Amino acid sequence: METPNYDNEFDAVVVGAGLAGSAAALTMADRDLDVLVLERGQSPGTKNVFGGVLYTPTIRELVDVDDAPLERYVAEKRYGVLTETDETAVTMRPGEWLEEPHNDSYTVLRGSFDEWFAEQAVDAGATLLTETTVTDLVREGGEDGRVVGVETDRPDGTIRAPVVVVAEGANSLVSEGAGLRDHHDREDVAVAAKEVLKFDRDTIEERFRLNGDQGVAYNYFGEGAVGDAVGGGFIYTNKRTVSVGVAYSIEDAATRRQNPQDALDAFKQHPAVAPLVRGGRTVEYSAHAIPEGGIDAVPDLVSDGALLAGDAAGLVLNNGVHLEGTNMAVESGYQAGRAVAAAVDGDGRVDDRVLATYPEELADSFVVRNLQHYDFFQELAVEDREFLFSELPRALADAETEYFAVDREPKDSHADAAKDRLLDAAGGYVGAAKRAWKYRKLLS
Amino acid sequence: MSTTPDSQPLPDVPDVENASTEDRLYADKYTDHEESHLGVKVAGFCVEKCETDDCVSVCPADVWRVEGDDEVPTIAYENCLECGSCRFACPHNNVAWEYPERGAGVSYKHG
Repeated sequence: METPNYDNEFDAVVVGAGLAGSAAALTMADRDLDVLVLERGQSPGTKNVFGGVLYTPTIRELVDVDDAPLERYVAEKRYGVLTETDETAVTMRPGEWLEEPHNDSYTVLRGSFDEWFAEQAVDAGATLLTETTVTDLVREGGEDGRVVGVETDRPDGTIRAPVVVVAEGANSLVSEGAGLRDHHDREDVAVAAKEVLKFDRDTIEERFRLNGDQGVAYNYFGEGAVGDAVGGGFIYTNKRTVSVGVAYSIEDAATRRQNPQDALDAFKQHPAVAPLVRGGRTVEYSAHAIPEGGIDAVPDLVSDGALLAGDAAGLVLNNGVHLEGTNMAVESGYQAGRAVAAAVDGDGRVDDRVLATYPEELADSFVVRNLQHYDFFQELAVEDREFLFSELPRALADAETEYFAVDREPKDSHADAAKDRLLDAAGGYVGAAKRAWKYRKLLS
Repeated sequence: MSTTPDSQPLPDVPDVENASTEDRLYADKYTDHEESHLGVKVAGFCVEKCETDDCVSVCPADVWRVEGDDEVPTIAYENCLECGSCRFACPHNNVAWEYPERGAGVSYKHG
């Protein structure tokens, strides 16, 4: 395939047609910019992996989500705490989630969704070039100069443009190579392995108590989910498939010699999980890295004519309860696109002060505010890992077994023993109060 | 009550019959590429500095292998799922990682 001469033909180049990249491209195209999106996959989505749930509050503002290839809306959430043999879970099915817009939470498959989303950007006027890998950024006048384009792996692959939006994803080779961000510490990155299992639709709907387009999002924690690593397991229902996977710290995978595939096998065989996933045929096996370093690991979002968005900027929230990234990717792409559209004048000139409004806008948005609010969590999870992932799940299982024990003892003796078991794990009343204080921000 | 890991498996737990690595990867679509997109930067670091083979521990696709007297891992790059975990995991920052050219490598249908 010949490459048309795209050099200096565009107002902006976007690296990657994932959620952040397509949101940025769509936003700029809507504002009449000439935008080129470069995607290394054969089509958008073919290199992308997530859990996953797509959270749609921002995307709904940009496109007609009803036309999108959604799988199911999230009608039920479940948080399961697992020992190796027990589950203690909270499930919720608020009536409101059955009504549109379904709390803006949908399962999707990225192969079809990302392709559709990129098409929306193309329909708005953006140009999409697939099978094109950006290998580096071009700088004017040496290493510290301004970013003025990209190098690609096409013949004569240099493409110059006034602004580059880098939305290359978690394995951020380009931004690292170009000095826009540091190499991640492995404590700040999780490895995820996932299978997509094929079932017939009835089996999924009966097994998970679903009707119509209803779906579930199940998250699991504790040593029964991913051994003694910091992380968890997940199950999400699609129309005719179920996504099941694990995600946990790369530091733990390395130092505890816990291979992701073994962790996935063990999670699927857990007594509370196996009945949900048995009998499915593996139609895809995938893996991905997740940047979970929180706000401290987010690099400068704008420098020298380049903007970072989505996973490449480390915009992922994991506080144990909220596991979000898709919404942050779209919001950051949208905000980056807005700033570029306002900063570029159409004659190749860029107003850097206007470009600098991107991080400011993002700092005022839920993206950065949530990261800041829950900043304490990752560190606490590592520090308290023994309690959170091992002692607490066991204490819960022991206490519930005790509390609900059926025998010829009076119930008050079981209730006392159950309470003692919980207090013991928490470190007595003083310990429990201290922990409640440490974790107060999870609920505030 | 919780039991210890080495206790007997619980009754009535269905066997999920987990697929082997080969069967899992066989389910995926790949486009061949002749040259490895993965490598080690300095083989000597693997020989002299590395005692933990973290690349092997973290790889979800059995790409990185150390067998027998291997001092430098062998790399089955055709299996790669392109997650990048090896690159982050190596404490000596010794993993050379490039995107496979022109979209080659794994192509996810579902993702």
